[in-house]
Amino acid sequence: MKENFSIIGKRLGGLDEKDKVLGNVVFADDFVMPGMLYARVFRAEKASAKIKCLDILRAQSLPGVICVLTADDVPHNESVKNVVGQTTEVGLLEAKHQVLVKERVRYWGEAIALVAAESPDTACRALELIEVEYEDLPAVFDPLEAMKPDAPKIHGDNNIIASWKLRKGDAEAGFAQADVIVENTYRTPRQEHAHIEPESGVSWMDDMGVINIRYAAQVIEHYRDIATVLGIPESRVRVIGTLIGGGFGGKEDVTVEVFLALLTWKTGRPVKLTYTREEMGYGRHKRHPYVLKYKTGATKDGKLTALEAELVSDAGAYVYLSPWVLVYSTVHSTGPYFIPNVKVDASSVLTNNIMSSACRGFGGMQVAFAYESQMDELAEKLGMDPLELRKKNFLKRGDITASYQEITSEVLLEEAARKAKAALGEKGRGSKTKKIGHGFACSWQSYGRMTYLHDTSSCWVNLEMDGSAVVRTGIPDLGGGQRESVRAITAEVLGLKLEEVHVISTDSQVTPLSGTVTATRALYMSGNAAKLASENVRKIIVEEASEMLSAEPERLNLKDKTVYSVDEPSKLLPLVDVIKRCAAEGKVPQNLATFKAPFTEPITTDIIKDPVFPDFTFGAQAAEVEVDLETGKVNILKWAAAHDVGQAINLNRVEGQIEGGAVQGIGFGIMEDYLEEEGVPLTWNLHDYIIPTSKDVPDIMSIVLQSKSGKGPFGAKGIGEPSISAAAPAIVNAIKDAVGIRIYHIPATPERIFLALQE
Amino acid sequence: MSNRELYDIALTVNDQEVKGRVKAETTLLDFLRDNNFYEVKKGCDKGDCGACTVIMDGKSTLSCITSVLQAQGSKIYTVKSLGTWDKLHSLQQAFVDYEAVQCGFCTPGMLMTAKALLEKNDHPSREEIREAISGNLCRCTGYKKIVDAIEAVSKGVRK
Amino acid sequence: MSSFKFYKPDNMEDLLKVKEELGGRALILAGGTNLLIYIKEGSIREGTLVDIKSLKELKGISGDNGYIEIGAGVTIAEILESPLLNDRVPFFTDTLKNFANPLVRNMASLGGNIADASPIGDTIPSLLVLNGRIKAACLKGERSVPLDRLFKGPGESNLKPDEVIRTVQFSIPERGKGTFIKLGLRNGTSCSVTSVAVWLAAEDGRVEDIRIAFGGVAPIPLRLKKTESLFKGEKLDEEKIRALSGEIDKEISPITDVRGSAEYRKQVSVRLLSRAVRICMGMEE
Repeated sequence: MKENFSIIGKRLGGLDEKDKVLGNVVFADDFVMPGMLYARVFRAEKASAKIKCLDILRAQSLPGVICVLTADDVPHNESVKNVVGQTTEVGLLEAKHQVLVKERVRYWGEAIALVAAESPDTACRALELIEVEYEDLPAVFDPLEAMKPDAPKIHGDNNIIASWKLRKGDAEAGFAQADVIVENTYRTPRQEHAHIEPESGVSWMDDMGVINIRYAAQVIEHYRDIATVLGIPESRVRVIGTLIGGGFGGKEDVTVEVFLALLTWKTGRPVKLTYTREEMGYGRHKRHPYVLKYKTGATKDGKLTALEAELVSDAGAYVYLSPWVLVYSTVHSTGPYFIPNVKVDASSVLTNNIMSSACRGFGGMQVAFAYESQMDELAEKLGMDPLELRKKNFLKRGDITASYQEITSEVLLEEAARKAKAALGEKGRGSKTKKIGHGFACSWQSYGRMTYLHDTSSCWVNLEMDGSAVVRTGIPDLGGGQRESVRAITAEVLGLKLEEVHVISTDSQVTPLSGTVTATRALYMSGNAAKLASENVRKIIVEEASEMLSAEPERLNLKDKTVYSVDEPSKLLPLVDVIKRCAAEGKVPQNLATFKAPFTEPITTDIIKDPVFPDFTFGAQAAEVEVDLETGKVNILKWAAAHDVGQAINLNRVEGQIEGGAVQGIGFGIMEDYLEEEGVPLTWNLHDYIIPTSKDVPDIMSIVLQSKSGKGPFGAKGIGEPSISAAAPAIVNAIKDAVGIRIYHIPATPERIFLALQE
Repeated sequence: MSNRELYDIALTVNDQEVKGRVKAETTLLDFLRDNNFYEVKKGCDKGDCGACTVIMDGKSTLSCITSVLQAQGSKIYTVKSLGTWDKLHSLQQAFVDYEAVQCGFCTPGMLMTAKALLEKNDHPSREEIREAISGNLCRCTGYKKIVDAIEAVSKGVRK
Repeated sequence: MSSFKFYKPDNMEDLLKVKEELGGRALILAGGTNLLIYIKEGSIREGTLVDIKSLKELKGISGDNGYIEIGAGVTIAEILESPLLNDRVPFFTDTLKNFANPLVRNMASLGGNIADASPIGDTIPSLLVLNGRIKAACLKGERSVPLDRLFKGPGESNLKPDEVIRTVQFSIPERGKGTFIKLGLRNGTSCSVTSVAVWLAAEDGRVEDIRIAFGGVAPIPLRLKKTESLFKGEKLDEEKIRALSGEIDKEISPITDVRGSAEYRKQVSVRLLSRAVRICMGMEE
C-alpha cells in the first residue's frame, strides 16, 4: 500500500461525532415504539438463600401490569456457554447462569422476576407487590476462604472454576541464582465500569415473526444466547446494536437482551427495559478483585532469574468470563519481561459476591499492578535505576514468552518509558506536609481474542453509481470510534472523502458479522476486514480502468473520485465512468471479505504452553503525584502515557483512547472500589462509587509511537485496553518515591496511605 | 381527592412552548424526555453525573433533580438549541475538531455546561474550565480534549 | 406507593400557613438537590412539595456593621458570587468553593443545606465558628436559634414542624482569621470524610479567641468548645498545636462508613485541625 496516506493517521473529526454534538444520536433508551410496554426486574435482596415462596399474584393483578415472568416461564432457564480451552480437570466447565432464579439465590441483586406494564410507574409499583420468602443458606465472600475444602459451595462441589499455570525452566533453580528476591502480596479492587449510559434496549416482534432487540450491545452475537433461552431458531432473533454510551466490558455479557426478548415473546408487544443506575451497580458484573502473591528474583547486575506467582480471582457467584479473564492474567503475569524461570498458578474462585467478568484490561491490569510494583522494589533493593533494571529485561521481538509465544512485532518499551518519564520534566518542590514523587510503569496487553476461539470478522463494501461507498459491518461502536475507523480505512483505500463513505453497522441480520467489540479486537479484526473488502473493490475498479486507459493495473491509483496513472497523472478517468462501465459488464464493484485471525487448537492442559494471542501492545505511563502527609490524600499533578499503536488510524481518537484509559486506570489506582459487606453492595450509585472528575486528573500527555509493526490494518495495534494497565502501578511507584511507603492494596485511598505512613 | 393529583405545566424548550400535566414530583428530565427531547440524557437520575444538564433561565441545571413544576414558565435550552448539521455552534464544532467526544453520552450535558460557562466567563483558564465541568462525568475521554475544545472556543481558535 | 402534592405559596405568610396546616408533611422544596433524591430513593413517600424557590422573602444578602444576613433561599452560587460576602467575609465564600460542583451550587440553597441536618453539610462548620444563627419562622412569630443548638442527629433538627428557616445570620468577628478544610476522597463533587472550620484571633502568637467546628466526626456538625478552651491563652508553636489538637479525641465520635473508618476519621481530624490552626496563625499557606 502507498506510504503517503491522505486520511489514515490524520486528526479526523468523524461524522458520528457530529451527530453526537448535535444530540441526534438515538441511544438505546431514546428509542420508542407505539404500544410499548415498560419492564422492570425484580431482584434478590439476599446474597445466598433459597426461595421458599414467591408470590407474584398481587403484582399480576395490578391494573396496567401485562405480565410477570418467573423462572417457570423461561423455556430454557439456563444460559450455557462452553468455555473453550479449559481442561476437564477443574471445577465447572460451563459458564452457566440462570436467567431468572429458579430456587437458589447466589448473589444480592440476582434477577428473580420480570414485570412488563403499560407505564414505568406501574412497572415500578408492581415490583413492590412481589413478595418473596427466603431461607438463608451458608455463604462465602472471601475467595481465599472459598478455596478451602469445607467452604460452602456455590455450584457443584468445587468453588475453583478455573486454573491456569505457566511452567518455564526451573523456578527454584532460578531463585538460587538470584542475588535479591522480592516477595509481596497485592490486592486489587472490584472496579465498576461506570459507563454513563445505563444498559437499555427495546424489543419487538416484526411482521415476519422475528424478535428484534435494539439495545446497547458490545456483542450482537448474543442473538444466539437469546434463541437458546427461548428455544427458537437463531434466525428468528435479530439484534440491532445502537451506538453505545460507553461499555468498557460492562455491555459485553448479556444484560437486558434476554429479559426483553422473553417479555416480547410472551406478550407480543414492544418492550423497553432500562437499568437504573443502582441496578447497574448490583445487577451487573464488575472487574475481578485479585489477590496476587509475587516472588521475583534478580541477579545483582539486574537480570531477572525467576518469577513465582499465585493469582486468585474472585469470580463472584457465576462463572461468566472468569476462566478467560484468568487466561489473560496468567499469560500477562510476567510483565513484558524475559524471565528464564517461571512458575505461575492462577485460580478463579466462586463466592457469593456479585459476579465478575469482562472489564477493560480483562485480567491484564491486576497483574500489571503486581509485576510493576515488584520491578520497582527490585530496583530499589539493587540500588539500580528502575528503568535501567527494566531495560535489561524487556522482551524483544523474536523472544519467546513464558507462555511459549513468540513476540512478532516491535517492542518499543524503552522508548515509551523514556519519553513518558521525560515528559514529566522537573519534579515539583512540594512542601513540609505535601511531598512530591515521580513514578512510572510499563505494561503489555494482547489485542485480538484468544486464538483458539477462531475469530473472524466480515465486512461488505460496494461503490454506488455516484462513486460513493457503502460499508456494511457488524462491529458495534462503544464510543471508541470503531465505526469511524472502518469509514477512514475504506475512504483511504478507495481514494474517497470521509463524507463519501457511509457505514451501516451492528445489525445481526443486515450487516455481515464482524464479531464483538471486546478484547481490543475491533480495529484489528473489523479494520482488517474493511481493508480487505475495500481492496477487493478497488481491484475491480483498477482492473476495469486499466483496460479503459491501457495502463498496468498496478500503476493506477484512486484519488478524489478519479482513477489515474501514477506514471502519467494526466492519464485519468472519472471514477463514475469506471463504475458505469463495470455495471455495463456485470462486474459489480462490491465485495464481502472475511478476515481470519491466526487459529490455534484449544488448550488441552491447564499449563499454557502455546501461543494464545495474535499480538501485544506495549507502553509506559509516568506520574507526578503529591502526597499529603497529614491526610494521606494523593493528587495527580502530571501524567504522561506513551504507547506504540503500530499505526494510528485517527490520531485524535488514538490520543483519546490513551487519555481515557489512563484516567480510568487512575480511578482504579486511587479511588474506585465497589464495596460489599457480606455480599450486600454498599456503593451502588455514582455518589458513593466515585470515579475521577475533571478536577481529579491533570492534562494527560499522550505520546503516540508508531512502529507500523502491528497485525491490524496498515500495521496498527490495538490501544483500547492497553492504555489502562500501567496507571495504577505508576501511581503506587510515585507514592513510594514521594513518601517512602509502598501500597500493596489498591485503591491507594487517603486512609490506606495514611495508615501506611503511621507505621 | 385522587392520590395521583396532576398539575398543569407550561414552559418553553428551545423557544418552543411545551405544555403538559404532571405529577408533583415529576422531574424536568422526565418531562423533557416524555416530550421527545431525548437529547437530554438520563445517566444516573440522582444528580451525580451531569448527563441531564440543560440551561434553565440562564443557568446550567441538573434536570434530573429539578422539579418540573418549579420550571413553570421557564426558558429551557437543550443541546438542540445550539447548531445544525450545516452550521454547528462554535462549541459543537470544537468538540468535533478536538475529538472531545467519544461515546457522546455525556456530550449534550457537557456542551450545555460549557455554554453556560462561556456566557458568564468568556476567557476562563483551564483550571476554571475544569472546575466548571466537574459536575459532568465523562468516562471515555479523560477530560483533556474537552478542556482543549472549550478553551479553543474561548480563545477564538479554530482547528 | 408514593403520593405527592405540589403547592407554590405566593408569599411568606402563605408559606407559613401551609406549614401550620401540614407540619412535617409540607416538604420544603428549594433547589431540590436533596429532597428529590430522597423521594426517588423512597425514603420520603408522601407529602406536599412546597416550592419556595422564588419566594422573595427568602432571598437577599445584606450586611452592615459586621452583621450578615443571608436569606435561606439564596443559592450556594449566589453566595459565591456575592460581592458583599466576598469582600466582607471571604472565609465563608472560600468555604463553599468545594461545595459539590457548579451545577449543584446553582440549585442548592443555604437554608436547604442547613435544614438537611447532615453531619457533613458543607456550609455548617464555617457558620458554626461564625456563631451563626438561623431565624426560624412560623405563623406565631420568629425565633432565633444558634446553629450549635439546632441539630439533634443525622437528618434531625430542632426545627418544629410548622417552622421554616427564613434567614441565616452571623457577625463577622472583629479580629482574627478563619480557615475551612474539607477532606474528600476526590477533588470534584465529594462528600466530606471530615471537615474542619477554625476561626482564630491571636496576639503575638498567643490565642485570644478560637472557635473550632467539625463536620463528619459526630452525628451532628459539632462545635468543639472543650478543645477551644484548651487553646485559649496558649502561645502556639507547631508542637503545641499538635498536642492541643490531639485533645479533640474526647469530643468526637466518628463512625465507619464507605468513605472511611472511625479510626481514620479520628486521627486525620487531629491533623486537619493542626493544619487549620497553623494556617490561621500564618505558619503556612
